[in-house]
Amino acid sequence: MKKIKVIIVDDERLAREEVRTALSYYPDVEIVAEAVNADEAKLLIQKHQPQLVFLDVQMPGKSGFDLLEMLDIVPEVIFTTAFDQYAVKAFEADALDYLVKPIRDERFAKAMEKVRTKLNTTTDNRQIFIKDGSKCYFLKTDEIHLVESMDNYAVLYFGDKKTFLKRSLNQMEERLDATTFFRVNRAQIINLAFIDQISHLPGGKLKISLKNGQVVEVSERQSVKFKGKLKA
Amino acid sequence: MYAGGHSGQYSYTLALIHFVLDIDIGILITHAYYCFAHRFNYTHLKVQNMAVRLIPAVLLMGVCYMLLVTVKLYAARYYFTFAYSESFWAFFSQNYVVLLATGIRLMAIWVLAFHLYHYALMEIGTATDNARLQVVARDAQMQQLSAQLNPHFFFNALNSVKALTNTNPAKARRAIDLLSDLLRATLYGGHARLISLHDEVNLVSDYLELEKIRFEERLQFSVDMEQGIQHFLIPPLSIQTLVENAVKHGIAQQKDGGEIKITIKNTDGKIHVTVLNPGRLISVGNEHRLGLKNLQDRLLLQYQNQASFVMEEAYGDKVSSTLIMPVS
Repeated sequence: MKKIKVIIVDDERLAREEVRTALSYYPDVEIVAEAVNADEAKLLIQKHQPQLVFLDVQMPGKSGFDLLEMLDIVPEVIFTTAFDQYAVKAFEADALDYLVKPIRDERFAKAMEKVRTKLNTTTDNRQIFIKDGSKCYFLKTDEIHLVESMDNYAVLYFGDKKTFLKRSLNQMEERLDATTFFRVNRAQIINLAFIDQISHLPGGKLKISLKNGQVVEVSERQSVKFKGKLKA
Repeated sequence: MYAGGHSGQYSYTLALIHFVLDIDIGILITHAYYCFAHRFNYTHLKVQNMAVRLIPAVLLMGVCYMLLVTVKLYAARYYFTFAYSESFWAFFSQNYVVLLATGIRLMAIWVLAFHLYHYALMEIGTATDNARLQVVARDAQMQQLSAQLNPHFFFNALNSVKALTNTNPAKARRAIDLLSDLLRATLYGGHARLISLHDEVNLVSDYLELEKIRFEERLQFSVDMEQGIQHFLIPPLSIQTLVENAVKHGIAQQKDGGEIKITIKNTDGKIHVTVLNPGRLISVGNEHRLGLKNLQDRLLLQYQNQASFVMEEAYGDKVSSTLIMPVS
């Protein structure tokens, strides 16, 4: 049985101990690390790539929300907090769950149930944490159909919405699943699952229409690559 | 003018009869108005609404007065003057203008006096009510402001206790004792106007000991109170508010924590409380300042402008909060 990798993030030792105790009843869970602040947590999450993080909202320096914003790819998150005022924000952030401390066993069990369901049903669990003004939410990468670079930002198109992320297109390309996403030119990455039509342009270039009607032009070099990819 | 009779010789009997009848007429008309005014709540009307009702009322009362007095005078002459032969209508047409004018004048004065009296009564009533309301409002305000420990503190402390029950039961037991005392103090003692420095310092020490269980080596603290001032009275939880603020913005925001230093002195007949904590004086959102704003309101209610509260940055990345209150 493959264990669920978990990291606990909380500045209080006793609070981390509490989560550890609660998790001790779940043999399919492996606590790979504990972090006492957002910076440490960022490094540990990048190193261990856990599927699940128990995250305290209030920590010295940077908050739990700040941590999520710093991450390129965000694991499933369960917020733990003694502060009720963050409840609404956490729900807006569409976190897997949020638990108020002290945590009742039955409530903890419910959260773990959600974790199992979530990890079993989704194949690509990659998500990005978006902070759009005062609104925070998780965006599943497979919902994105197009990424465009604009100055220092990457513009993410998903559904009928778009959002700006302060990342270079190269950074985005690295983070996205190479089997689903393809860099069509210097300024655009598309999700292959959203392709509607492909047509040829003079000079061997390709034109791709996406399902939502957006059209992208594939550069000469990338067209060759793309054709190769199709054949493969 | 009519009282003494008119045929040269003064009759005391007649004067007395006139006097008694005049009083009766006066009472009759004004009492009728009194009943009417009360029935229709004239005394509670606004001035302009009352004015439009008073003018016809005074005219009507004047007419009544005129009629009654005419009858009275005519009857007096008829019965007391020998061989009086003038007809009533002739007498009436001769006298009614003067009598009407007199009636209106008298009634206007009476009605005015009547309403001024009631107005004054009402004013006194309102003033009393206002004074009482002010007291009630002040009490309510105090009640509402009566400081309470931050509920998040209790939940965090309980979470620590829960973890301690596994690893350090003795410490868990101590924490429960501290929590109980703090709960008792805030649930039952928070409504008192003033408590002694001794009680307040005990409460603050309990609070800090509990927070130390939570923050462990990240929190150091010291309390230094001048000898002989333990019995001085201060608003409950006033020092506590500063300390709680110091923990929340000073200790909890620092990765390595730091020390909270509390000094309480009596200088120039005033109590000086200083709380020193690590950190910076950053502008934080209003909701974070609620406890301090509440404290300031309580100081203002309790001491008017005699107390002061200042927060400033101190040397070496520290914040110092100073509370100065008159000795009471």
